Amino acid sequence: MSAFLARNRLIVLAYAGMVVLLLVTALFSPGFLSISNMRSTVVLAAFVGIVALGQTVVIIGGGIDLSVPWVLNSAAIVMALLCGGQDLPLVWVMPLLLAGGALIGLVNGVGVAQFGVPPIIMTLATNVILQGLILVLTGGSPTPSAPALIQFLSVGRIGGFPVIALIWLALTLAATLLLSKAAFGRHLYALGTSATVAEFSGVPTARTTILTYVISGLTAAFAGMLLTGYSGQAYLGMGDAYLFTSIAAVAIGGASILGGSGHYLGTVAGAMVLTILTGLLPALNLSSGALLVVYGAVILLTVSIGSETFSGLGGKLRGKAN
Amino acid sequence: MAMSVAERSVETKMQPPGIDWRGRVLDRAPFLVACLMLALIVAIYGSLQSGVFTLDEINLDTAAAMTLMLAATGQTIVLVRGGIDLSIGGMISLGTVIAATRFTDDPSTTALWMVIILALGFLIGAFNGLLISLLKLQPFLVTLATWSILNGIAMIILPTDGGSIPGWWVGFASAQLFGLTSPVWMLLALLMFWWWFRATGVGLTIQATGSNEKSAFLSGVSITRVNLVTYGLSGLFAAGAALFLVTQTGAGSPTIGKDYILPSVAAAVIGGVSLFGGRGHLAGTLIGAFVLTLIGNLVFVLHVSSYWQPVASGVILLLSVLASSVAEKAARNRVQ
Repeated sequence: MSAFLARNRLIVLAYAGMVVLLLVTALFSPGFLSISNMRSTVVLAAFVGIVALGQTVVIIGGGIDLSVPWVLNSAAIVMALLCGGQDLPLVWVMPLLLAGGALIGLVNGVGVAQFGVPPIIMTLATNVILQGLILVLTGGSPTPSAPALIQFLSVGRIGGFPVIALIWLALTLAATLLLSKAAFGRHLYALGTSATVAEFSGVPTARTTILTYVISGLTAAFAGMLLTGYSGQAYLGMGDAYLFTSIAAVAIGGASILGGSGHYLGTVAGAMVLTILTGLLPALNLSSGALLVVYGAVILLTVSIGSETFSGLGGKLRGKAN
Repeated sequence: MAMSVAERSVETKMQPPGIDWRGRVLDRAPFLVACLMLALIVAIYGSLQSGVFTLDEINLDTAAAMTLMLAATGQTIVLVRGGIDLSIGGMISLGTVIAATRFTDDPSTTALWMVIILALGFLIGAFNGLLISLLKLQPFLVTLATWSILNGIAMIILPTDGGSIPGWWVGFASAQLFGLTSPVWMLLALLMFWWWFRATGVGLTIQATGSNEKSAFLSGVSITRVNLVTYGLSGLFAAGAALFLVTQTGAGSPTIGKDYILPSVAAAVIGGVSLFGGRGHLAGTLIGAFVLTLIGNLVFVLHVSSYWQPVASGVILLLSVLASSVAEKAARNRVQ
């Protein structure tokens, strides 16, 4: 048990932070812990969490995905356009758009792994290209409303549980298996720790890198479709906030931005922390500007705890105690 | 895998002199590609629109590009150091809202606030550098966090776009000397600054640290001091960008800064600045900023939807990095 704690110190801390935050929020606004409020918090966190799944995998592999906002937005807009508010087309539209998200991820991954383009530039370029293409496609006008089935997936309930929370749970299980049990997971941590060592140890580094961006494209596109259901409509700019929140959730969840460490379970806590903070500030009568200040402070705090300086300090203290 | 820049340049010097010019051209390939792109854009633009090759047009385009150029100058210094600064977005927003709420018709009060904004920029940047050094944190995350904090403070000071900028300061951007407006003179000043700065002890130390942090440290360089100055300068230039930006918009905006974060990186990369540190020249960045700005003009004269502009800038960005990576590979092959 103590070995587990030592290895996953940052993830445990993220959950501890989440619980403390929940209690503090409940103190300031007593209704916060009610079933209905927790339900809506989890639903909002699920969107961040699903986008951040791909971001987590990419960051563990030593990269970063800045194309998330417009992959999400493109999937949302194209889905709304192709379905025209009808459920039936979803049968082919959903697989098509998931494939589209994977394709963008493939382009990102090939650029990074095969052509040596820095991830920041590669994904930034695909992001602005997608943004432009979607603007050209829509001419800047709003799109038809979301099909009822998608609305059910994002705001509906099964046995009292929000459907999207169940989807998120399933994705969390899948991601945990992928990272902790599958060969891909082992390759990924090796790649993120040192691409050179991984390459010489026989890890298929190019394939693993490409796969991380494909996963990120998939989750961003999926989240885009679900988010359309939540807001009832797809609109331009709906993905913009998710660049910051997806990276912040990963950082708060304890992953190093340099790659090689972290886990999706930490990101789940990170997504929850960010969403609870959003709920805390209205209770304290604080503006959205204050929310951004708090977001920044929380990121600084969590990455400081994870930094070498602090763990070195912790090590020294423990050494003295022993 | 990738050899450090310092090692490579040493080995390049050992090549026989006969093939040296090819090496030198290849090393500058990204910069040359940027020049070529700019020439191409200007040529197309000039053939479709009359009066492109006039002083008026140069004055106009430089004014349009100057905010990005100032922001990208700071970003170039950070990139040459081997870091990245996302917080400039927050600093630019903060600078514009302070300007829009504090500037008055009295020039001396306004001048005082300008000094305060610039000092704030340097101090906040230096704080970034300090955090990165003392806590051994990644520049990407530290500056992402301070971007959020600064943006939040800007929104608290001025929740929505507004405020006002005194007319005499707005007029600064169109003030002329020998037929050239102040932005053109600022452009020349930036080039002069770089020409001077890169040869100073500080400039050389920043570049050496970007090439190879470990050997810089072993040669007695204080990494903390390097980071302090690097990010401080980046903050200072971001504050300068904010002061110029308000002459263009005439108001403050708590959200406008984010539009300059990634374009500042893109301008530098298009101009051949390496994201791995140690390599790059401000002239390249300024050309990159012109390329990104003139694409807008081009889209306009080609009579296509302005929505094609981001597509074009993304494609140009990709072409530029591909040119860089081809040059890197060629350089590596030459060494082997």
